[in-house]
Amino acid sequence: MHTSPVNKIWPVSSAISFQKVGKRYAGARDKSTETVAVDDFNLEIAPSEIFCIVGPTGCGKSTALNLIAGFESPTSGHVLVEGQEVHDPGMDRAVVFQHPSLFPWMTVLENVTLGLACRGAPRDEYEPRARKLLAAVGLKGFESHYPYQLSGGMQQRVQIARALIGQPRVLLMDEPFGALDYQTRLLMQRLLLDLWQEFRPTIFFITHDVGEAIFISDRVVVMTRRPGRVKLMIDVKEPKPRNYAFLTSPEFVRLQGTLLEAVQQEVESGAVAESH
Amino acid sequence: MATDEQQFDDGLMQKQEPPRESRIGARPKAAQVPNAVLSALGVFIVLALWVGITSSGLLKPGYFPGPLELYRELVVLVKDGYRESSLWSHIGISLFRTGVGFTLGVLVGVPLGLLTGISRVSGAMISPIMAFLRPIPPIAFIPMAVLYFGLGEAGKIVLIFWTSFNYVYVNAQAGAAHVPIAYLRAARSLGLTQRQLFFRVVLPAATPQIFTGLKVAMALSWAVVVAAELTGAQSGLGYMIADAALIFRIPVVFLGIAIIGAIGLLLNTALNFAESRFVHWKGR
Repeated sequence: MHTSPVNKIWPVSSAISFQKVGKRYAGARDKSTETVAVDDFNLEIAPSEIFCIVGPTGCGKSTALNLIAGFESPTSGHVLVEGQEVHDPGMDRAVVFQHPSLFPWMTVLENVTLGLACRGAPRDEYEPRARKLLAAVGLKGFESHYPYQLSGGMQQRVQIARALIGQPRVLLMDEPFGALDYQTRLLMQRLLLDLWQEFRPTIFFITHDVGEAIFISDRVVVMTRRPGRVKLMIDVKEPKPRNYAFLTSPEFVRLQGTLLEAVQQEVESGAVAESH
Repeated sequence: MATDEQQFDDGLMQKQEPPRESRIGARPKAAQVPNAVLSALGVFIVLALWVGITSSGLLKPGYFPGPLELYRELVVLVKDGYRESSLWSHIGISLFRTGVGFTLGVLVGVPLGLLTGISRVSGAMISPIMAFLRPIPPIAFIPMAVLYFGLGEAGKIVLIFWTSFNYVYVNAQAGAAHVPIAYLRAARSLGLTQRQLFFRVVLPAATPQIFTGLKVAMALSWAVVVAAELTGAQSGLGYMIADAALIFRIPVVFLGIAIIGAIGLLLNTALNFAESRFVHWKGR
């Protein structure tokens, strides 16, 4: 469609690029109840960057992720991944969902290998890879279990393994650790950073948790309430690999203060707007 | 559908519920009477009441047989059959009608339900028609089935087919239409083709609901076959009880009712067993 002219204007240096993106949802009854999720949204994310969005519920962060994943199409503007306009979901952009979306009728191994099996890859090629990846996320010995036999944290590890096995350039994560307890969440954040060291995907990460955002990200963006715009963008300069000492460093605390204030402003302005 | 599901799902629900004593949780384990003993006690009490009432002389003789009388009649029935046919052939013909009609209903209902569940066009075309036809009690069609197909097997099988088709269809349709969006998105992100999406995701995701449909359809098919045999048949369990009532062989009527109940229970248990094998993830 618009791919070639857009490519000429925008160099392929960005892994993910939002160009004047707008997304409206039709109202349930008529046009007057139409929702503007994002409007004139611009963003460039570099290859192998870990990019995090925080913001109140309904700030359009999930919309942004769905647009990159290809689950939804923008009403206006363009969403590009590695210079190509997004039209459909694809294995180059793996998604880790908040709620476990593992298929309960498949074993852990079958879940992880489904994508490659369906693309006709030879079994003796992908199965060892899946076993290696499952070992890397700490699930050695659980290959033949069914998802309902695993804890929430383990299910999310399977999702991450399923996402990584296709060697995606982009990893999209929609509050993947939101339902986990604090200790498990810390472990999963470390695991994610370890896996990033190995595979170096671009990671687009959505969370409510400001601390989580700072700990794992190169860049954190706070979004405004609907329509979602960039309210605040900060760089996290702490070098990777990071360890838990970073969580108590003055820099971490300072960033946390800044971000919390920005998020809180949005939450409160929303509360005021809704009380009118 | 919710009420149907609850109604016919009892066997399964009981399994998932914690045992009664753990909910109270106060009594020490040693003091508890096992469930099997309690169940046996319940049966014993009913039997005792039954014997008491039938031997008390309060009831008009011949209207309500006691257990001993039923047992004697059962021996005769097994040995001599009923009206030139053995008891087994009456049971067999009822099961045959149900089996053929039910199987045809499943073979047509499941694929059509899945198709209308995933395809907007066919769903929009077919669903309203089915929504109108489904609430009509299948036995309302008995007179027309007799008129069109006579008193032979065809009419009864068509009626059973229609009954099971209705419930299998609507459940398969709902199952395919309500696959969680996270499953569909995950599958599309993994690069599955439409065909792979259907066979690897939509079909297994719809299986629990399909089983619900099978259980409702089976129970109703069994009920309808008996109803159909009551009015227009020369064989089958329904014919046996209707005919025995006319000639006042009351114990045969009660035996027929008990056999119908036992077979219905057996069919439901078999489907529950199949379900627990095929849909091992259900409710977890």
